[in-house]
Amino acid sequence: MPQTTSPNVSDALYRAAYEFLFTEAEYLDDNEMESWLGLMHEDIEYEVPVRITRERAAGPGFSDSSWHMQETWGSLETRVARLKTDYAWAEDPPSRMRRCVTNIRVSPGDAEDTLNVKSNLLLFRSRFDQTSYQLFFAERRDVLQGADEDWKLRKRVILLDHTTLGTHNLGIFL
Amino acid sequence: MTPNADSGNGHHRPPGSEFARFFEDMERSMREGLVPAQALHDPDLYKLERERLFTRAWNFVGHASEIPSPGDYAMRYIGEDPFIFSRDEHGEIHVLFNACRHRGTQICRVEKGNTSHFRCPYHGWTYKNSGELVGMPALKDAGSNLDKSRWNLIEAPKVAVYHGLVFACLDVEAPPFDEYLGDMKYYLDMLFLLNDDLEVMGEPSRWTQEANWKSGAENFAGDDYHLVYLHRSMFEVDVIQIPYAANMLGHHVLPGNGHALAISVAEDPEALAYWGYPEEVTSKYDLSRLAPTQQDLAKRSRVLVATVFPNLSVLAIPLTGNPHKDPPTAFIVLRLWQPKGPAAMELWNWVLVPKGASEEFRQASYRAAMGTFASSGLFDQDDSEPWQSIARTGGSPFARKIDLKLNYQMGLGIGSARQIEDWPGPGLVFDHRYEEANQRVIFERWLQYVSSEAYPPLTGAPTLSEAANPNGGPSLRMDYRTPV
Repeated sequence: MPQTTSPNVSDALYRAAYEFLFTEAEYLDDNEMESWLGLMHEDIEYEVPVRITRERAAGPGFSDSSWHMQETWGSLETRVARLKTDYAWAEDPPSRMRRCVTNIRVSPGDAEDTLNVKSNLLLFRSRFDQTSYQLFFAERRDVLQGADEDWKLRKRVILLDHTTLGTHNLGIFL
Repeated sequence: MTPNADSGNGHHRPPGSEFARFFEDMERSMREGLVPAQALHDPDLYKLERERLFTRAWNFVGHASEIPSPGDYAMRYIGEDPFIFSRDEHGEIHVLFNACRHRGTQICRVEKGNTSHFRCPYHGWTYKNSGELVGMPALKDAGSNLDKSRWNLIEAPKVAVYHGLVFACLDVEAPPFDEYLGDMKYYLDMLFLLNDDLEVMGEPSRWTQEANWKSGAENFAGDDYHLVYLHRSMFEVDVIQIPYAANMLGHHVLPGNGHALAISVAEDPEALAYWGYPEEVTSKYDLSRLAPTQQDLAKRSRVLVATVFPNLSVLAIPLTGNPHKDPPTAFIVLRLWQPKGPAAMELWNWVLVPKGASEEFRQASYRAAMGTFASSGLFDQDDSEPWQSIARTGGSPFARKIDLKLNYQMGLGIGSARQIEDWPGPGLVFDHRYEEANQRVIFERWLQYVSSEAYPPLTGAPTLSEAANPNGGPSLRMDYRTPV
């Protein structure tokens, strides 16, 4: 559903959401995983539902019972801890990544001190000496929680524009 | 006559004849545990696979629980061919070639749905969900005198259902499924007869790799050795909590026909293992459905990983993606390694959970599977690295020039695994799991299909014998073609 930034969201709040997303993307692009984890709320719900092709009348095709990722703080922390071992081959050497976060719309969240943030994600990924690269496109529906510029990601649903993933692994964060 | 020479006089040479020497050489080298790298990336061998393997072997299509109600359907592939996996109004399962009989238009253009009829978008030919042609627009003008009963959607010639797993075969000459599965049934029955109320959670997830499908099929056939290094991070962050050395105790089982199975077995017979399933699940097991030897093996099983030839793998293992909070939880994954090219595959992943278990367990089981063996899976991520580079090696001109052979010799007197002489069940069985016959049988059965125009005969378990090896190397050799 199209969502313009609500007039109930002040310029300052809009800017806070905007800066949060760019900071988060920068941490991920720069492989600063501890800093990134620090932006996750302890009750984070992070989901990437499986998508399949359905008829137009049946809707966009996101599953309500299967996921590519369905993470909490503990499982995200386990992923980051794994990256610190000497055996995280999938991301050692790391992928080169760049996240473009655009079409940012902000509205007041359902709970106090929360913001609903909708954005588009374009993620570029390349590895090794290959000229080939992967592109991921998605809509993100985030809930930010916090106040006074100390925001955390409380919830993220990543709605991919892909059914079969054109990637050899989702060993990265979207 | 050199295999690659063009005879120049228009004589038809049978497909694959340019590989005659390659096939002979491979049959010899497989006995010594050597696999030609070329088998993992060759466009012409891939063409032979398309024509002779996936069109003749039994292929996994889906699980019956995915199409529970009449009219349910999903689009699936057998090799590269699209098929509609549907349930008709009477509850029967169909596997229908996704091509209108009129012009060949693909009539199913979504991945899942429910319909009483499929209607071709081109001219409107209409089929029941059983495949029966029932009508078309302007029938009197367009189709009078057409005997519609001869123009139904084409069914896969053979379909079989094994514990809810639906397999299809495109070759009328193929043996029936239970003969094809052979003694693999004895071992898979342990898992599926006890866990007899499994259903797929959600839809299968899919992702792609620039790797040959055989790299996945052989890995899940029983490559337990790679846990020590490729997946070492899993031990370091407590995702897997069975110590590595203990996990390697158990068996490699070669029941014949190219199938392979590996089981990690707990040493302590009193340790209730059952792949890590909790009491709420195991208390419902009807153990009387298994023979005593199966019962004992099932009870002590911690991990089961297997490949049903050619490309369906089964994995049962207790893991956790969140060791802080979730203890290791049992799950079953079905994994299909779909060929998309000589060095391209699509991985399909299903998670099976018991219908009758608590919602809490079902969700925990799904989470454990998704976090470890899926597109973002902590194990799967790392597997993609060697497999993709192996495909590059397989396509290497230098590898072809020197006829590069890869070392799959573990268990042929290399390493300390030994055949168990008095094993009470079927098949050739090794103790312990440092052993590579599980990988070799996949390649050998592949060879039998791609090298033969006639349907390859069923084969019993491989046999070991002393190798006269003047050049050193393995002291044993393996023969894979024991007649059944």
